[in-house]
Amino acid sequence: MRVSTGSPRAGRAVSRLIDRGDLLAALDRAAAAKVTLISAPAGSGKTSLLRAWADGPGRRHRLAVVQVRRNERDAQQFWLILLAAIQGSAPTAGSTAPLAPTPDFNPAAMAGRVLAELAEQHERVYLLIDDLHELTQPDALDQLTRLLADLPGHVHAILATRHDLRLRLHRLRLAGELAEIRAADLRFSLSETGDMLRASGVELPEASVALLHQRTEGWAAGLRLAAIALAGNQEPDRFVAEFSGSDRTVAEYLLAEMLERQPADVQLLLLRTSLLDRVNGELADLLTGQAGSERVLLGLEDANAFVLSLDAERTWFRYHHLFADLLRLELRRTLPDEVADLHRLAADWLSEHSQVADAIRHLQAAGEWAEAARLLADRSFSLTLDGQAQTIEALLASFPPGAAADGPDLALARATITLARGLLDEAAAHLAVAEAHFAQALPARRHRLRVATAALNLSLARRRGNLAGVLEQVTFLATPVSGRSDEDISLDNDLRAVALMNLGIIEAWSLANQESERHLQEGADLARRIGRPYLEVACLAQLAFASKIEPFAVTRQRCEEAITLADRYGWGADPVISPALVNLGGVMIWTGAFDEGERWLRRAETALRTDSGPGIRLLLHLGTGQLEGCRGRHAEAVEQFRAAERLQSQLAGSHALASQLAGWSIAAQARAGLLSEASSALAVLGDDLTSSGEVSNARAAILLAQGAPDRALGVLHGVLDGSAPVTGDVTVIETQLLAGLAHAELGDQRAASQAAERALALAEPDRLVLPFAMTGAQDLLAAMPRHQTAHAALLADILDILRGSAVPAPPASAASSPRLSDSELRVLRYLPTNMSRPEIARELSLSVNTVNTHIRNIYAKLQATDRSSAVRQARQQRLISMAVPR
Amino acid sequence: MDPGPALYCIRIYGHLGATLLSAFPAMDAEQQGQVTVLTGVLDQSGLYGLLADIETLGLGLIEVRQLGSARESPEPGQGGCP
Repeated sequence: MRVSTGSPRAGRAVSRLIDRGDLLAALDRAAAAKVTLISAPAGSGKTSLLRAWADGPGRRHRLAVVQVRRNERDAQQFWLILLAAIQGSAPTAGSTAPLAPTPDFNPAAMAGRVLAELAEQHERVYLLIDDLHELTQPDALDQLTRLLADLPGHVHAILATRHDLRLRLHRLRLAGELAEIRAADLRFSLSETGDMLRASGVELPEASVALLHQRTEGWAAGLRLAAIALAGNQEPDRFVAEFSGSDRTVAEYLLAEMLERQPADVQLLLLRTSLLDRVNGELADLLTGQAGSERVLLGLEDANAFVLSLDAERTWFRYHHLFADLLRLELRRTLPDEVADLHRLAADWLSEHSQVADAIRHLQAAGEWAEAARLLADRSFSLTLDGQAQTIEALLASFPPGAAADGPDLALARATITLARGLLDEAAAHLAVAEAHFAQALPARRHRLRVATAALNLSLARRRGNLAGVLEQVTFLATPVSGRSDEDISLDNDLRAVALMNLGIIEAWSLANQESERHLQEGADLARRIGRPYLEVACLAQLAFASKIEPFAVTRQRCEEAITLADRYGWGADPVISPALVNLGGVMIWTGAFDEGERWLRRAETALRTDSGPGIRLLLHLGTGQLEGCRGRHAEAVEQFRAAERLQSQLAGSHALASQLAGWSIAAQARAGLLSEASSALAVLGDDLTSSGEVSNARAAILLAQGAPDRALGVLHGVLDGSAPVTGDVTVIETQLLAGLAHAELGDQRAASQAAERALALAEPDRLVLPFAMTGAQDLLAAMPRHQTAHAALLADILDILRGSAVPAPPASAASSPRLSDSELRVLRYLPTNMSRPEIARELSLSVNTVNTHIRNIYAKLQATDRSSAVRQARQQRLISMAVPR
Repeated sequence: MDPGPALYCIRIYGHLGATLLSAFPAMDAEQQGQVTVLTGVLDQSGLYGLLADIETLGLGLIEVRQLGSARESPEPGQGGCP
């Protein structure tokens, strides 16, 4: 599939398209409806009509033009190119990064993404999709139906196809939103036939024009072939008479005549290059064994001889499909022995020019199955890193079952695909088959295959949560890149980036240490340097997860950056970005923005649809469980935590969140009234977990639910005195709150408030709300005397959230929020409290004048008139819950 | 449902020459006035493939007729397609 964007006029050959005024007017009229469908057989002149219309005078509207590639089975390619065409038609074209496909493609999300992209454009946009019949992927057609039904008012779609498609267009038709142009409308009239011949320099008497029109029935391809065959013909009348007297099919007769009139070198070029989807001068020279092919191709396009240039520079060309089909038949008929060799030559050239998928297709066409399988195995690693998993799948499907091809080479490709889908056991089985044979591979291939299997093994070990396995496999990182050839060096760099990513991920999972951040950052940097954007996004998304030990503001920023980058490439709803989506949802939930957090989690759920693997899905259930717990929906929380535990059992090693999951799961059961289940779950935990602070908290939750606050206090001692290991501050905050609840139960309000105050102090830096919500600490906080807390602002915020006056969603664009300075943010936090300005000044160790200045600035920036409207504004823009560096 | 291989006769507008006929190597061809009649035994996927080729090559399809299952059919080329 090729894209031309903006005005397709640039670099266009001398136009011999005649002015089919009536049809162009019909197209203009049709644009009043949402969709125009041009459905007519091959050679009816659909593409020419579209080009003439697009080039027409006064066509100042923006055009996004997509030409569907032959037999397009890769829905992902289709959507990405459609998206690129739309982005390319925008006035800001060039500011966005080029799109690259992803292994983890989600077609449902792509239609939505295209709609979002269209919605952002405010001018009238025309979306031209030519050769739509070539799109054979059923899902893609379903999604296209959805896109067409939901097109915004300023977008008009024009679809050209050879036959009616499985698009459910009847609703549009009933609503009068579908305009149709069919074969009968496209036929050349007698006078258009005369115009067309004259435009091609053919002068015929009226009677001959009529005869030609009658014989071709106004069929565009027939007339054009006739015009080329007639150009320079000494006896045009005789030609027309003979043609009219022949019963042979119009296209075949005229093609033979036309070919015969071409010089031998042009004939040979047309025949030998007919089996390429697209051709340039160099490739044509190679296939013909002659020089100067580019000049011939340019000349053919200028003569309007069914040759179209594909780029503004006119270096790549394609033949009109019908013409190419006829040429291919002619090639097979007249030069049958050359066909396989031509495919092989083309494959070599394409392979050398990194057009691997096309090269493999030609090898398959030549019947070189073993060679095709070998090339696929050699390049599957690289294809994956560029996100072409769907292409690998399509190529795999084209191999015949059994035979030599079904050996270790294809097993490697299958391992790649199954791993991307999270089918870990299947992937391991394919990989074992591949590895068993690669030891015997030729030395020239061995390095490449070793790199590919090493990358797969690494990813497999990481996805299984096998820390030792990953560590064992990344020892090579210690040695510098030492490839002998350029290819070796680039392969080694690919592998290093993959290794850094997997190492960073597994470290984040298993150890939650700072090393993981360093490795992921190095992986992202390396990926960017070697031009692997997909890998860069993968590293950054995981980095967002790894940075959970950082302040929340940092984590949040990293998540947003990774998501922005993924969105730009069209990967915003793919498994690759799911770690950042889940984590951003988590940050929101932890800071009390429950509704927004839920939205991010749902987006992550969509992104994970094609990936059934355990890792990030576990986090998704964990986050959803927290959300349910925060909302007091304990039974639902139990379900989510149980789902997370089931996924956890698929992981090989322990992970950093294991004790949190165990603790929250048991506590949720206790709060849901499932006391005996909670106690049994507690009893079967391993020693490492039993001693953790998280599980101590769970034990206290059970005891509180059982009405034994004194014993609850007892089990919390280990956390309070620091002897029990904890995952993070959130555990200690929970402990303090549970202790506070126990004290309150025992009637010791003073001790209860002191515990709550300690919890607030720990929660202040990140403005954590989660532990207060999960433990049900609302009454405990409400009972605290306001003047006794040093965290009045946070306390007021948390109570607001727990009482359900939820923080509103943030504005769509961060750029629109006013920039408050850190000092102003610090003062802002006290505005929701009933503290006076002198009291705030004392609290912050500032002079009253300074506080007054800050408050004046805050009002100005928030366009507020008084304290309550400032608080309202600040809440809406989520400024109050923002973490402030101290 | 796959009714199994059967003898089909397919009528196409115009006279197919050597080049176009090479697209249908499994079929016998006969010219009947302005029409070319292709006759041959096809299973369902063969039939659909052939129809797709007819479309791709821009040929005008007039009629597709099944002349009976492969076993009871007359010899290809011996008429039967009116």
